[in-house]
Amino acid sequence: MSKVQVTGLRKSFGSNEVLKGLDVSVAEGEVVCVIGPSGSGKSTFLRCLNKLEDISAGKVVVDGFDLTDPKVDLNAVRQHIGMVFQHFNLFPHMSVIQNIMLAPVELKKGTKEQARAKAMELLARVGLTEKADARPASLSGGQKQRVAIARALAMNPDIMLFDEATSALDPEMVGEVLQVIRDLAREGMTMVVVTHEMGFAREVADRVIFMADGLIVEEAAPEALFGNPQQPRTQDFLSKVL
Amino acid sequence: MRRAQAFVAGTVLAVFALVGGAAGASAAPAASHAPSAVSGKTYVIGTDTTFAPFEFRDGSGELIGIDMDLIRAIAKNQGFSVEIRSLGFDAALQALQSNQVDGVIAGMSITDKRKQIFDFSDPYFDSGVQMAVAKSNNDIKGYADLKGKTVAVKRGSEGETFANSIKDKYSFTVKPLDQSATMYDDVKAGNSVAVFDDYPVLAYGISQNNGLKAVTAKERGSSYGFAVNKGKNPELLAAFNKGLAELKANGQYQQVLDKYLKDPSKAANQSFIDLLVASFPALLKGLGLTLLATLLSLIIALVLGVVFGFFKVSHLVVLRGIATTYVSIFRGTPLLVQAFFFYFGLPQLTGIPINVLTAGVLTLSLNAGAYMTEIVRGGIQSVDPGQLEASRSLGLGYVTSMRRVIVPQAVKIMTPSFINQFVITLKDTSLLAVIGFAELTYQGQQIYASNFRTGETLLIVAALYFIVITLLTQLSNVLDRRFNK
Repeated sequence: MSKVQVTGLRKSFGSNEVLKGLDVSVAEGEVVCVIGPSGSGKSTFLRCLNKLEDISAGKVVVDGFDLTDPKVDLNAVRQHIGMVFQHFNLFPHMSVIQNIMLAPVELKKGTKEQARAKAMELLARVGLTEKADARPASLSGGQKQRVAIARALAMNPDIMLFDEATSALDPEMVGEVLQVIRDLAREGMTMVVVTHEMGFAREVADRVIFMADGLIVEEAAPEALFGNPQQPRTQDFLSKVL
Repeated sequence: MRRAQAFVAGTVLAVFALVGGAAGASAAPAASHAPSAVSGKTYVIGTDTTFAPFEFRDGSGELIGIDMDLIRAIAKNQGFSVEIRSLGFDAALQALQSNQVDGVIAGMSITDKRKQIFDFSDPYFDSGVQMAVAKSNNDIKGYADLKGKTVAVKRGSEGETFANSIKDKYSFTVKPLDQSATMYDDVKAGNSVAVFDDYPVLAYGISQNNGLKAVTAKERGSSYGFAVNKGKNPELLAAFNKGLAELKANGQYQQVLDKYLKDPSKAANQSFIDLLVASFPALLKGLGLTLLATLLSLIIALVLGVVFGFFKVSHLVVLRGIATTYVSIFRGTPLLVQAFFFYFGLPQLTGIPINVLTAGVLTLSLNAGAYMTEIVRGGIQSVDPGQLEASRSLGLGYVTSMRRVIVPQAVKIMTPSFINQFVITLKDTSLLAVIGFAELTYQGQQIYASNFRTGETLLIVAALYFIVITLLTQLSNVLDRRFNK
């Protein structure tokens, strides 16, 4: 059964249509990487998957919830979807552990002690146990993004969305963040990853989607897409970035 | 002078009367008494707020003046008691007409028009216009020396009427000003060479060392009388006349006049320190009201600001429209106009009288609330939109996200603006002096209206504002650093 089922997804900002009808299916445990030039609509597509963007037309079903149904409880759906942003978006007025505990405590997933234990476990997983009481401002970019991943995992999501999670990082910090994502992939997390890291996409993806101008141009297993792209747009893009 | 003008019964005055009436209604008499019935009785007497030297407040806030001393002496002489209500001139007359006070003594000229609605006592004071010049000026000795010069008069006063009647004959220019104190300062500053003012006001000013001297004899003018409502309280009127005659006979009357109109030595030697000591109790009382009005206004403004600020960032166009309209109205009109509207205009529209503190706080809180709305909106909008997205993506609702994520960050951003608004509102309370709210500036005006030491009094008032604002700003900054680390 597919975790994500997108049919005929369209999205416009005013008169500017940025998604022109997408059909995507992501199976449970599958890692899908989305690549493509700037402005191709890949981030907008990702943001439609937890309805941070309103959906203009089409249907998006995530984890069994139809996001286009006006009666759907969006907050309930979002608890099943973790999201990691390019610019981390950590809460600067809270410590690292408070960032991670906020959602479980506010949404009453167990006791505060359980939330704290879970948060410490997640921090250990991303290698930042000693930063539990630090403020986000004192962390490096790579550390911030690892905290953000831990925060997104705190609600035990079924699906993780990564929106260019390494684009705002200094090069020497990209590796530590990719390692965390790689570990998640290995554990069988269902993930949609928008990325510019072609090597990483090639390594972890089960399938790669190439987007341009609001459309899916080509999708295939990484070896096929990177090794033998079929479409001229894909070939052109890959020749520039590889 | 307004005392000589025809008495106009406008709607505003009716409102005044209602306000005054609320204060004096409990002591309103039921019917007239026999002339012998005054002894042991208590009569409610209406008067003006400040009309030195007839009624004004001394440094401790006590009502004194020729009228006050006379009515108290007459009451004592005739064995009755008085309860003075300082209502304002027009309000006192309205209160008298509606029997909410038993009598009015307010430096009121006896005119034919007023005689139709009130019964007047024998005249107790003869007024008239007199000319004065700066103490150092030895060139102007009479009207003939005014050729080509400018003289100051009070707008709408008998002095203005008189000056206009002779200005062509003596070829001088008339410059109307609003207050006695301003006119005297104008002469001392050399902008005008002379001033035409009511004899008692002028004599009192000179006795308070206002820097002027009278150079002409008093022109024949109107006489002041004590009034009761037509046909009411005849025994009170009779007792007043009898008492007045006895005070005149035993010399007490002259003593009262001399106390206020002669004796320049008393004030002449007052140093700045003496002024400070004498005016401090009244100014502190004013400062207390200033702080009270500021505090109440800011609390209400904060609530308004938060409510309308959230309206402004709402997705609902109706809420945004409401907030935008509110802000436009209160930011787009002067505070002074708003104060006049709430104090004078609103009661006319609703028919419900409003006291001056309520009107003042209403004005300031609605005005500051508009600015607070913009501060709150700006604060919320200046938080990175990614913060709300991150919070919502975790499954937290809008309200929880606001409460836990956005507002704590916005408050930090807003705090300096809040402190700024707090200082502005504190200073804006001074504008409420125009509707007679007895805050710090008003108290200062009352003091220099009776002692004519405008510059020094305002210096003390300004220093008090400065000290309080500096202290409170420091305190706010400390709290800001403490809680917004």
